[in-house]
Amino acid sequence: MIHRLLGAALALAMGAAQAQSPETLSWLRKIHEATQRLSYTGTFVYQNGMRSETSRITRYVDAAGDIEKLEVMDGVPREIVRTRDTVRCYLPDSRVVKVDRRTERGFPALVPERITALARHYDLSLGETRRIAGYDCQAVVLSPKDNLRYGYKLYADLNSGMLLRAVTVDSEGNPIEMFTFTQLSLGNVTRDMVKPRHAGRAWRVEDAGAHPARLDGWGLAAELPGFQKVTELKRRLGESRPVGQMVYSDGLAAVSVFIEPLAAPREAVRTGLSSMGAIHIYTREVANHKVTVVGEAPALSVQRIADSVEFHRSQ
Amino acid sequence: MKDTISAFMDGELDDRAAGQVIDALGRDDEALDTWRTYHLIGDALRDSRLLSAGFTARVARKLAAEPTVLAPRRLQAQPRTWYALAASAAGFALVGWLAFAPQQTAVAPIARQQPPASVPAKPNIVPLPSGANDYLLAHQAYSPRVSLQGMAPYVRTVSEPVQETRK
Repeated sequence: MIHRLLGAALALAMGAAQAQSPETLSWLRKIHEATQRLSYTGTFVYQNGMRSETSRITRYVDAAGDIEKLEVMDGVPREIVRTRDTVRCYLPDSRVVKVDRRTERGFPALVPERITALARHYDLSLGETRRIAGYDCQAVVLSPKDNLRYGYKLYADLNSGMLLRAVTVDSEGNPIEMFTFTQLSLGNVTRDMVKPRHAGRAWRVEDAGAHPARLDGWGLAAELPGFQKVTELKRRLGESRPVGQMVYSDGLAAVSVFIEPLAAPREAVRTGLSSMGAIHIYTREVANHKVTVVGEAPALSVQRIADSVEFHRSQ
Repeated sequence: MKDTISAFMDGELDDRAAGQVIDALGRDDEALDTWRTYHLIGDALRDSRLLSAGFTARVARKLAAEPTVLAPRRLQAQPRTWYALAASAAGFALVGWLAFAPQQTAVAPIARQQPPASVPAKPNIVPLPSGANDYLLAHQAYSPRVSLQGMAPYVRTVSEPVQETRK
């Protein structure tokens, strides 16, 4: 208790005394802009715990917008292609294409205004410089002000701002997940390079049919500090399950709440937590619905959001 | 004896052999210990809230009585059923039970303690839900990380084929 009070007092004092360094904020903006502006192709490794996977990523930008292609090279083949308003996930083994269209003006993005707001929940600072995949990089450190979110260490190319490495760390500072480029070349990307490898013509199409919708009666009894609802929609998951989805975010971390009617009145919902790297999934039953909360946030946050999901019959 | 007890618990013994095990349990303290240990492991794996009665006290007593063995010991024959595997799985779970929940095995922490009142209850650890990739893909689209990192976070899906071959 004392600790928490001290912590809160300290955070307040620091928030007041030390506006976050403008230099750090401008680095975050630079990374954001690079992500929007650059064409590139490269290979990166994703690591969490014992798992490590190599993927290729290619981004092509022209006046009409941008197309991005991600191919996972290890394990089950997966290829994901995002155009301006659609994400298509090709699964050659099961001959399935999963299609997800944007619901509003775009997928919620970390816009520059929100970058400044990040300072409410994270202490932002610049770290060391380090060479990664041949690029001299600046480290940008985001340390959470509470235990409801993870910390991040982002390494961006000094020249272009391109993000070369992103490390997620837990409250003890232990890395729990890392993305790092092992090879990257900027520019010189043609449109052919972002074409899906698979035509997928005779494949089964699973269209999520996502559309903005109010999920009447559903909400959180108490929102998690710093996490605000950013969108609310209805969609399908996989072949047929119709579900509601509410997304909460603190500007960097996001937590989705999926709400689906139980298939049968007797369907058993297995309450509990499962984990995969920085992602936690908590499942429980609320008012004859299965509630599945998925987020790249500490187990505590995912569980707290899941525990506060409630349903009120319409007024 | 351990093999026989394990087989007995799995219901693999005929009446006569089962009778012998029950007799042995009445006479032989070591056999009785084995019986309790296997039940304890079973409880932990099934995620029972209540571990077999007297567990903590017995462990404490045994630890106190345990001599420190300095000489290398001959490896004992392993019990042949899943209890042996379970013992190591449960041990593993203790070490890394939040770090990574394996796909098919629901491992539960063995020493479940009552948490202090101010901390939310320790959650049940369960395997990833079926169709986990659908949730992960649907979630990823709305993560602000994408605007700093492009599509890279989309690799956070499950690679095991079983998840995608379901009909």
